[in-house]
Amino acid sequence: MNLSMKGIVKSFGANDVLRQVDFSLQPGEICALLGENGAGKSTLMNILGGVLQADQGQIILDGKPVAFHSPAQSLDAGIAFIHQELNLINDLPVYENMFIGREIKKFANVIDHKEELRRTRELFARMDIDIDPAALVSSLDASYKQIVEISRALMMKASIIIMDEPTTSLTDPEIERVFDMLRTLKKQNVGVIFISHKLREVMEICDSYVVLRDGVAVSHGLVAETSIASIAHDMVGHDVRTETLVQNSQIGPEVLRLENLTQEPHYRNVSLAVHAGEVLGVTGLLGDGRSELFRTVFGDGGKYEGQIYLEGQPVHMKSTRQALKLGIGYLPRNRKENAIIKDMSILDNGSIVTLDRLTKFGIISRKAQRAAFDKQRQELQIKMQDADDMIGSLSGGNQQKVVLAKWLSAEPKLLILDNPTQGVDVGAKEEIYDIILRLARQGVAVVVLSNEAQEIIRVCGRALVMYHGDVRAQVSGETMNETNMMRLATGG
Amino acid sequence: MANKSKQDGFLKRFAEKWQANPLYSTGFVLILMIILQTIALGFNFPSFGAWFSSWGKNWINILRNNAGVGIVALGMTFVIVSGGIDLAVGSTLVAVGAVLMVLVNSYPTGLLTAAGITGFPAFLIGIAAALVMGCLIGSVNGFLIAKSKVPAFIATLGMMKICRSVTQQFMQAVGTKVPREFLQIANAKIGGEIILPIIYWLVIAVVLDLVARKTTFGRHVYAIGSNERAARLSGINVEKVKALVYVLSGALVSITAVIQIARIGSMDYANAGSGYEMDAIAAVVVGGTSMAGGKGSILGTVLGMLIIAVMNNLLNLVGVPPFLREAFKGFIVVAAVLLQKKEKAS
Repeated sequence: MNLSMKGIVKSFGANDVLRQVDFSLQPGEICALLGENGAGKSTLMNILGGVLQADQGQIILDGKPVAFHSPAQSLDAGIAFIHQELNLINDLPVYENMFIGREIKKFANVIDHKEELRRTRELFARMDIDIDPAALVSSLDASYKQIVEISRALMMKASIIIMDEPTTSLTDPEIERVFDMLRTLKKQNVGVIFISHKLREVMEICDSYVVLRDGVAVSHGLVAETSIASIAHDMVGHDVRTETLVQNSQIGPEVLRLENLTQEPHYRNVSLAVHAGEVLGVTGLLGDGRSELFRTVFGDGGKYEGQIYLEGQPVHMKSTRQALKLGIGYLPRNRKENAIIKDMSILDNGSIVTLDRLTKFGIISRKAQRAAFDKQRQELQIKMQDADDMIGSLSGGNQQKVVLAKWLSAEPKLLILDNPTQGVDVGAKEEIYDIILRLARQGVAVVVLSNEAQEIIRVCGRALVMYHGDVRAQVSGETMNETNMMRLATGG
Repeated sequence: MANKSKQDGFLKRFAEKWQANPLYSTGFVLILMIILQTIALGFNFPSFGAWFSSWGKNWINILRNNAGVGIVALGMTFVIVSGGIDLAVGSTLVAVGAVLMVLVNSYPTGLLTAAGITGFPAFLIGIAAALVMGCLIGSVNGFLIAKSKVPAFIATLGMMKICRSVTQQFMQAVGTKVPREFLQIANAKIGGEIILPIIYWLVIAVVLDLVARKTTFGRHVYAIGSNERAARLSGINVEKVKALVYVLSGALVSITAVIQIARIGSMDYANAGSGYEMDAIAAVVVGGTSMAGGKGSILGTVLGMLIIAVMNNLLNLVGVPPFLREAFKGFIVVAAVLLQKKEKAS
C-alpha cells in the first residue's frame, strides 16, 4: 500500500508541533522516523494511527484521501501501530492474543479455538516464526512478544506497521530476531515505519529515513547514501560531540571496594574499587548482571556472598535505608517504574530522599524544602514552571534531573547511576554528562552503568566490561574504544 | 483589559483546581447537602433564635453520632493512601473494648476493681491498655502485610473474623458495664451540650492532617502508595512505614472504642462496630481518596464523612424509611467516585 502524508499541520494551543510535514512510504519499505524527544515523531504517527487528528493536511492511501477519527478506523485501513508498551495479555496463550477483540466465533459467543489455532499456525509458518501458538505469552521473552504483536497486526491484514522504539528493552540477539522478522515483512511487501533513537540499528535495517526537528522534516533520503554523523547532525542541528570530556582530575581515597561479590545467577566473583573524584563506567549487554550488582551495593539486591567495603569499613548491605544513611545514592534504570512518584509534585519528588533533614520538631519546613530544591534546580538547570506542579508535567530529561536532584541534595559519597540518560534527548544528555563530571570534580565517587559505549567513553576515566555476570576486562585510554568494548561485551 | 485577563485567569485557575483537586467537588456536594438539609428542617419556628437552636442541636447530633466512625475513617485514609485496606477495624473495636471492659468494669470481674484500683488511675490504665491492644492488632496486620506480603484484604479479613469471634467467646462471663464516672470521658457537658466526641474527632483530624501533609512519615505513606518501588529506591523503609499505617489505624480504633464505651456505658460485642470498615471506606472514597493509593487527604475524609452523615440526616428529615437509607449511601459512594476526575490516560 502506498502511503503519503502531505502538509500535515498540528498544534496544541500555541504550541506548533508539526508544521507542514510530508511523509511517504512504499510497500516493502522500512523507513526510519528520527528526531529528538519532542521533535513531533509521536504526534505524526498518532495522526496516522487515528489517535489524533491533523489540523491541516492530507493522508493518501493508494491515491485515495482518507481521514481517521479513531485507531480502529486506521487499523481497518491496514495501518497497525505497535506501541513501546506492548498490548498483549500475559496470561493468555499466543493464539488467543492474536484474536483479542476480533475472536472467531463458532456460534453465539463461543470462541472457535481450533480455527484460531489453525490460522495462527498458518501465519507463523508463512512468516517463518518458531513460536508455539499455544504457549502462554508470559513465557516468551521480550523479542518474541514483539514478534507476536507484529503477527497480530498481520493477522488483521495490516500492510503498514508503525513500530515505536521496538528495540529499547531488547538484548542484541533479541534485536536480531526482530530484525529478521522485519526482513520477512519486507519480502511480503509490508511497509514499516521504524521510530528509533539508535542510529546504528537504523543503518542496519532501514531503507530510508526522515528526520524531524521542531515539527519540520529537515532531511530525508536513502540510508545507504548517508552516515550516522550526518543524521545525528540533522537531528540536533549541530555536530554531536563524541570525544571524551574526562580530564585528569584529582583521584582521592577509595570509597567503595567489592571483593568476590557473588549472587547466582546474576554475577560472580566481582572485585572492584572506586575512588573519590573518579567516574567508573560499567558496561555490557543486557543480561550482563551490572544492574543487579549495583542494586546489591544499594541494599536492594537481597542475599549475596563476598564482601563490600565502604571507605575501608566492611559493611553488609541489607536495605536501601541503610545505603542512604551510609552515603550511597542510586539513580535506577527505567525512570517511570523505579524513580518517578507520579502522584507527587516536582518538589516532593525532588526532596523525598532528604525529608528527614528538612523537619523542625518533626514537621517538614516548606521553606527549607523549597530552598534545598531551588539550589539543585539552579545547579541542574531544571526547566519547570512551579515546583508544586505534578512531576508528570515535565519532559523526560527534566524528570531525570529531578531524580538526580533528590540524590544530590542527599550529598552522597558514592553515586550509582544506572542508564542515566535513558529516554532523555540529546541536549539534556550533554547536560547530564556535565553534571556527572562536575560531581566527580567535587570529590564524589561516581559509577555509571550504561550500554552505550559512547556514553562510557564520554564521561568515564576507566570502565569495566561485563559479560554474563563476569567482569571481562578493564578498559581505559586507548583500549576504551567502541570496537574493543563491543568485542568484550559480546564475550569475545 | 488587564483586569479582564486577570479575571479569566482566576476562573481558569479555579476550573483547573476543580479538575486537579477532588476536595472542590467534595466540598460542593457537601454544601449542596447542607442547603437541602436546612430546607428540609424547615423554617417554621417562632423566632430566629428558636430555629437556630434547633438547627444547631440537629448538627450536634449529626456530628456526635458520626465522631466514632469519623475517627476510624481518618486511620483508614492512611491505610488506603498507602495502597492497602483495613477490614479489621470494626472487630478490632470490640477486641479493644473487651480489654478495657476486663480492666475497668464495675463488677468484681473487673480486674482493676478487684485489685482495689478505681477511679481515675484505673481509667488511665484501662485506656492505655486499650491503646496497646489496638496497636498490637494493628502491628500483627502490619507485619503480615508488610513483611509476609499477605494481601491487605486477606490479612485484615482474617483479623476481622478472629477478633470478633474470640472476643465474643471469652467475654460471655465478664460484666459489661463501666463505672458511672467513666462516662464523663464522653458525656461531660460543655456549654450545656455533649460535644466532647466531636472535639476529639476534630482535634485528631487536625493533627493527622498535619501528619499526612507535613511529616516525613506522612509523605512516605503517599510515596509508597503512588510507587512502592520508587519509594524503596529512595531509601524509604517501606516495610516499616506500611506496618505503621496499620498500627495507626488500630490506635485510632482504640480511641473510638473508649469514646463509644464512655458514651453508652457498655459494649455489645456482637454488634458494636459492625459495618464500620465499610462506612469508613465509604467516607474515605467519597472524600476523594483513590483506592489505588497515593492520592487523598484527611480533610477530604472529614468532608466525605459529613456528606454521608448529612445525607442520612436529610433522609431522616424527609421521612425516607430506614431500610432504604443504606441504598442512598451506596448511591452516593458510587456517584462520588463518578464525579471525581478520571485519571487521563496519556
